[in-house]
Amino acid sequence: MITLTELKLAARLARRELRGGIRGFRIFLLCLALGVGAIAAVQSVAGGIQRSLVQDGRAILGGDASVRVLYREATADQRRWLESQGTVAVTADMRAMARKATDQPGANADPGKTDLGASGLVELKAVDGRYPLYGRLTLTDGGSDVQGRLAARDGVFGAFVDDTLATRLSLKTGDRLTVGDATVEVRGIIDHEPDKAGSGSIALGPRLMVAMDALPATGLVRPGSLVNWSYQLRLPEGTDAAAWAKTVDKTFPDAGWRVRDFTNAAPQLTRFIDRLAQFLTLVGLTALLVGGVGVGNAVRSHMDASVHSIATLKCLGSPARLIFQVYLLQILALAGLGIAAGLALGAVLPLAAGRALAGLLPITAEIGVYPGRLALAALFGLVTALVFSLWPLGQAQGVPAARLFREGSAGRRGRPPAWVLAALAWLAAALGSLAVLTSVDQKLAAFFVLGAGATLLLFLGAGTGITRLARLLPRPRRPALRLALTNLHRPGNLSGMVVLSLGLGLTVLVAVALIEGNFRREVGESLPANAPSFFFVDIQPDQLDQFRQTVLAVPGAHDLETTPSLRGTIVRVEGKPAQEQVHDPDKKWVVNGDRGVTYQAQAPAGDKVVAGAWWPADYSGPPELAISKDVAQAFGIGPGAHMTLSVLGREIEAEVAVVRDLDFTTLGINFTLVMSPGVLEHAPQTHLATVRAPAEDEAAIQRAVISAFPNITAIRVKEALATVSTIIVNIGMAVRVVAAVTLVAGTLVLAGAIAAGHRRRVYDAVVLKVLGAARVTILRTFLIEYGALGLVTAAIAGALGTLTAWAVLTKVMNMKWVFLPETLALTALLSTAITLALGLVATWRALSQPAAPLLREE
Amino acid sequence: MSLVQSALELNGLTLTLESAAGRVNILKGIDLSIQAGERISIVGPSGSGKSSLMMVIGGLERPTGGTVTVAGQTLNSLSEDHLARFRRDHVGIVFQSFHLMGAMTALENVALPMELAGEADAFERARDGLAAVGLAHRLDHYPGQLSGGEQQRVALARAFAPRPRLILADEPTGNLDHDTGEQIIRLMFDQARRHGTTLILVTHDPGLAARCDRTIRLADGRVVEDTAVARAAPGEQKGAD
Repeated sequence: MITLTELKLAARLARRELRGGIRGFRIFLLCLALGVGAIAAVQSVAGGIQRSLVQDGRAILGGDASVRVLYREATADQRRWLESQGTVAVTADMRAMARKATDQPGANADPGKTDLGASGLVELKAVDGRYPLYGRLTLTDGGSDVQGRLAARDGVFGAFVDDTLATRLSLKTGDRLTVGDATVEVRGIIDHEPDKAGSGSIALGPRLMVAMDALPATGLVRPGSLVNWSYQLRLPEGTDAAAWAKTVDKTFPDAGWRVRDFTNAAPQLTRFIDRLAQFLTLVGLTALLVGGVGVGNAVRSHMDASVHSIATLKCLGSPARLIFQVYLLQILALAGLGIAAGLALGAVLPLAAGRALAGLLPITAEIGVYPGRLALAALFGLVTALVFSLWPLGQAQGVPAARLFREGSAGRRGRPPAWVLAALAWLAAALGSLAVLTSVDQKLAAFFVLGAGATLLLFLGAGTGITRLARLLPRPRRPALRLALTNLHRPGNLSGMVVLSLGLGLTVLVAVALIEGNFRREVGESLPANAPSFFFVDIQPDQLDQFRQTVLAVPGAHDLETTPSLRGTIVRVEGKPAQEQVHDPDKKWVVNGDRGVTYQAQAPAGDKVVAGAWWPADYSGPPELAISKDVAQAFGIGPGAHMTLSVLGREIEAEVAVVRDLDFTTLGINFTLVMSPGVLEHAPQTHLATVRAPAEDEAAIQRAVISAFPNITAIRVKEALATVSTIIVNIGMAVRVVAAVTLVAGTLVLAGAIAAGHRRRVYDAVVLKVLGAARVTILRTFLIEYGALGLVTAAIAGALGTLTAWAVLTKVMNMKWVFLPETLALTALLSTAITLALGLVATWRALSQPAAPLLREE
Repeated sequence: MSLVQSALELNGLTLTLESAAGRVNILKGIDLSIQAGERISIVGPSGSGKSSLMMVIGGLERPTGGTVTVAGQTLNSLSEDHLARFRRDHVGIVFQSFHLMGAMTALENVALPMELAGEADAFERARDGLAAVGLAHRLDHYPGQLSGGEQQRVALARAFAPRPRLILADEPTGNLDHDTGEQIIRLMFDQARRHGTTLILVTHDPGLAARCDRTIRLADGRVVEDTAVARAAPGEQKGAD
């Protein structure tokens, strides 16, 4: 039992020992500060975003609760019921094409007088007179009178556009836009749209906001149009919104509503931020682990330097336990200092990151100090520092007091006592558990922890392996080569340290670079070859023939494909409610809301059938279904199973005929649910179309379609991909920054280790100079040593990083894997360059030392 | 003699250590009895086992065979921590290289063993101890700021301040010039006499050995000579002390 008096004495002695300064602990402090700083920064930013999501939940959702329904408005009965529950604001979202009108000012757009070049895809949002129920929509000119400005003046409705649209179409207040069949006047540039994050879908275009009363004039809302209707409610004071949301599902179980309350305003964003924060925290933890190696080195050096103090304390009657306490308290104090610096860094960095994030996220992160999250970063730092310090601390208490009488009697360092080893195992387990328990995806975190641990051990083993191998190799005849080889395995060699310091950081960097490279390839490089140029949505059945003619009349347009498009929900599988039949939780999305449904007579070209067979081309029997592999896996079903779909309120039971493997990467038209002919032909529907064209003809196609069919929305695949690609690039940047911290930590550790070996290097250099070796020979010797170590580290890190990237891409993300040799080559170059540069600096310093003083001293 | 309490009893003491060259027998059966208050010098050529004998007596090295009894306590069976406490309570050690704690002031160095023993008046006694060796004006100096002789005086004060029964001194003047060494010896003998402390010192200096009550000569791990030195004349003793 440790007494308070004992602790006080240990603290007093620890404080006195630290008077000598903390020079030897610079790397220790930097490593901890970096690792803790990375985690603290990630956690602070995530905390800021989550706080915004919670604090502004009502504004983000647009109400205490919201009911969303795709494709159709609420019925009169449903609407009456909603009105009876509280104040209701209605909004409608859809994608549409907007054009800048040139006949300004004028009442109605005349397509003949419209500048068709100045047009683009927009996210159109119509808002009613109560919008917004919560929060404020503000405009760049400071205005916020939504209703007043959007209302019709002289027969022309107002519109708000966001800055991107204003720039893209060169719009200013007072300019006119046509959207569908309507012309609206720009009456403000949106500065802040309170419920933007709550929409839940990726915005492919900039915002265009109009009054709900202007929507009918656009002619865009037709049967089958992809419109998201949202009913935002302000519930009576004191209503439990979460409980209310649950009752709605029970009141209207078959309405196909998505009900949310303000406590969960933007679940997709929340999930995304949670996962990204987890991933970045784990990468930050890697930096901390790499830094831990530096922490361990610093503690080992400190304990080596303290051998006499420890032996003296023992001679004076200090028990081993007190000595352990003294040095543990020192390490804890220093760790506290490093952690504090890291926390300060982590709290300040988000201020800078906050500005960058403002443009990337639909909400403003509440940058601030989040004690809970900073505490987590601190805890990671503290446990890591202890894990890496305990071994040398435990060894030190075994220093014999006789050391003072007999120099060098301590000999080789022994193993720490059993209780220290037990504490070490416990702390390592605690660190791993902390990483797993604080993660949203605990399975992934557990894999990470095991992987990181195994990687550390592997690099530790590799260091030993290199030493042994170098010892076994035959001695080369050339002196420089022979010396370099000897340096790899001589007592006190740096081989293990170089491999361990750089290895983990490089592995993370290789893995991240390969994963990101594969992502970018997927969206940016591999697609244009076979992807269509345009997607056209909301084509009405009566427009289909004319649409075909219009598009194909443009030179260069080819491969026009059209497909009917309906929306339906899976309500029952084998007669039981579909929600209860989901076997695979990862595929729960198939029952969340509507899915696209189409019908066709025969299999598309190149279709991959997993099980069953398509119906014959002239099939006219009872309804059959072709389902995607995902749907089959979600319910654990195959051909012969029965599914009931609800399409526009009509329930259709069909037998599964075929299970297909869909390749979404082609960006062609793919439906997870395809019905056999003869069932859906007369249901209200729209059509989708894709067309291919050379890049130079794309503008002509867009002009032709927009001028003839104002209601049809053209999505240019390249632009949509660029939007997605920007998101990936930004995420990739965040990941790379954190991964780079790992490499910086590794470089610091390596620099520290090389500095520790400086005396040995100076001695070698002096002796070699005395024996007549030219400086260039000595330089060559050291460069061969470091170059070899750098290359070996790169080889192992390259192999491990590639394995990790392959596993993440193919097993976790179910993506195609492409090996990118240039990424790997770059890593090898980086690793060798870092080791060579550090080795060169150290060697140069060693070579600059005059020989005489050292020889006199020795 | 029966009136004088035995301070140290060694019976059949052997010490064998492992080295790179194999097992080395350092001490080969030593029997020794030292009375309280005696001043003993241990002499002998390098490698004869002098320092090893000191280490065994101080509980810093465990004997391979035989028994060691110091101040009525048999050390053989004590654990590492019990041995540390035994040293804290009964033994003061003076080294050739001083071995002061570099990060602590002179006062803190002297107070340290008493702090370890949990004594409340550690600093007052340390102050007195330093005054007794003539360093009252150097209390807040760090070892690096003191001369070799001053450092050894601090080490003496550290060894004597807790009033141990036994002082072990390993070549206490080995790193000092003649005059400074002389001062240190005078101080050491004076302190030992004043507190009735048993003093065992290892030395190569025949002059210093001659000033002790008894000289034990070691060779190849054995006691080859155990001579009681004739008491010096009062005048000379005064000079020596």
